[in-house]
Amino acid sequence: MMVSMKARSPKSLPGADPVACKARIFPRFAWAALLVCAAAGCNQHPDAQFVQNRLRMAANEVPGDIQVQIAEILAAMFGTPNDPFVPPESGLDVDKLRMAAGPVWSDELGIKHGLYRRHCAHCHGITGNGKGPTAAFLNPYPRDYRPGLFKMKSTERAAKPTLDNLRAVLREGIAGTAMPSFKLLPSDEIDVLAEYVKYLSMRGQMEEALVRFWFDEVDAGELIPEIRDVLVDELFAPIASQWEQAYDAVVEPEPAALPGTERSRKELVASINKGRLLFHDAKKGNCMSCHGAGALGDGQVNDYDDWNKVVVEFEDNHQQADLRALDVLPPRTIRPRNLRLGVYRFGRRPLDLFRRIHEGITGTPMPSSKGTLTPEEMWNVVDYVRSLPYEEASRPRHMETSIERVRM
Amino acid sequence: MSGKFWAFWLLLVPILGVATMAAGPLYGIWFPRDVSAHGHAIDHLFYFILWLTGIVFVGTQLTLVTFVWKYQAGKRQTVEYTHGSHHLEVVWTILPAAALVFIAIYQMNAWAMEKMDRPPGKPLAEVTGRQFEWRVRYPGQDGELYTPDDIFDVNDLHVPVGEEVLLAVKSADVLHSFFLPNFRLKQDVVPGMKQFVWFTPMETGKFDVVCAELCGWGHYKMKGQITVESRSDFDAWLARRFEEQQATHETAGDEES
Repeated sequence: MMVSMKARSPKSLPGADPVACKARIFPRFAWAALLVCAAAGCNQHPDAQFVQNRLRMAANEVPGDIQVQIAEILAAMFGTPNDPFVPPESGLDVDKLRMAAGPVWSDELGIKHGLYRRHCAHCHGITGNGKGPTAAFLNPYPRDYRPGLFKMKSTERAAKPTLDNLRAVLREGIAGTAMPSFKLLPSDEIDVLAEYVKYLSMRGQMEEALVRFWFDEVDAGELIPEIRDVLVDELFAPIASQWEQAYDAVVEPEPAALPGTERSRKELVASINKGRLLFHDAKKGNCMSCHGAGALGDGQVNDYDDWNKVVVEFEDNHQQADLRALDVLPPRTIRPRNLRLGVYRFGRRPLDLFRRIHEGITGTPMPSSKGTLTPEEMWNVVDYVRSLPYEEASRPRHMETSIERVRM
Repeated sequence: MSGKFWAFWLLLVPILGVATMAAGPLYGIWFPRDVSAHGHAIDHLFYFILWLTGIVFVGTQLTLVTFVWKYQAGKRQTVEYTHGSHHLEVVWTILPAAALVFIAIYQMNAWAMEKMDRPPGKPLAEVTGRQFEWRVRYPGQDGELYTPDDIFDVNDLHVPVGEEVLLAVKSADVLHSFFLPNFRLKQDVVPGMKQFVWFTPMETGKFDVVCAELCGWGHYKMKGQITVESRSDFDAWLARRFEEQQATHETAGDEES
């Protein structure tokens, strides 16, 4: 629709007397621009394109012809931001992707289209690379979906999040970050967005897989063989199956180790005290080494998460590199969570905290405690962590307004 | 252009102005339904001032039109020099001043009721504005905020119907404004301060919570929902939220919710 509007040049307008036309050339252009704007909305890019993972290309020194080939393979497998499609092996619903993709508009029935650009692209970018226009101003940076790593999930460390995990993040937002809650969106729109996040993530992982395949398997001067065996069966199918297997990887605590529901105050305090010792025990929980002796998140502050680590490593190897030309934001360290604030990014239920301790947090320095703590001990740490925001030292102080008058 | 031409256009201003006000309610662009106990006082003040200013507006516009029509250029009338009228000046200074003083006194009770006479007792919940959402914290069974039995939610504020609700309102980052259009209630929230708002919902249902202070690029989508329900439904909802928050394992149905 927009393309056809744009294609109508000012010259084809009626009454094209050359002299008059010259004198009025600016208003004519203004009219044409106005028409395009009115039809499409000024800020939308009618021909939005996915951008390349330039850092990955530079890090692996991928030559130009291979970069072009990778872009072509990705376009053939995944389409464009306006017209997405996927290989059937992905298990994704193309109708849902179409609802999420494309420019923002509503049809006659009031059904909203372009949901991803309406709600997400501002921060996460059209490509899902976490580099939308707002990204540079946010801390932490918005998630880059392309490595296929997700923190907010109930599954094992190496596994993908479940559909319900993605839905929960959309509905509840992520406290302590710039990700707001989209709770009031209808559930079918939430599902459409979750599907599109999977799509962008699969596409990004496929891009990385192609680069890796070229780096490891293809001889210099040759192209990646464009055959189904390689592209779909060898490279894409494993990525897609990870997503399909997410529900099998949900972490369920052992029933035997669960804390009772009717614990007395005394039992709870005993558990909290055990948890405190484990928290500070360098051979057991060792939590204080990062979260700090006071649990203020100040034990170590110089580490990076996996998304930033890639940039830091690239910088170390390429001292002269211009990061901006590579579409990369300046790397930021990851702060261990200040556990006294009572702000939990992915759920405050004991179950959520247990999963954090059991599996660690994907993509971050937070390790799994499976090797060092028994499930009972993990529950002790959960109890201790949950008690921290309510210690006297953690209590927030708030100035009240000067309005002292209270109705008699 | 003749003076008649301009008089015609100027005449359109009061006509279209009044027509917009008159047609607004028919097109659903007027006030949202008032479901609070005190809202009528705010609406009454609004309508009172609207009528007052509306009448003055129409009167002054018609005077303008009359003068443009009557004293249009081209009639070759002699222009008369005047040094102004002292009496006229006094009259049109005193009349608006008296009107303003009257409004100031007339609205005192409404203001006190809405902004000054905080009901005694502890807040039902604390609402924190954050770019771009409303986070809600209930004190739980003990009635004290910031204790382990607090109950949390986001963008969904539940309140009981027919009871006076006291809320504490805060901001986590920048200026926001906590606005309940159906309750005729609006309070700016300032980072570092805690404000109180109170109202009595009179009808059950779901209504909007919006931000009324430009707070960043996502200001327009900083929208929550207030659910007014019976006391028993409210208590049941709170209890259910609390139970969900205490979960140590997935119970059947959780993953579908």
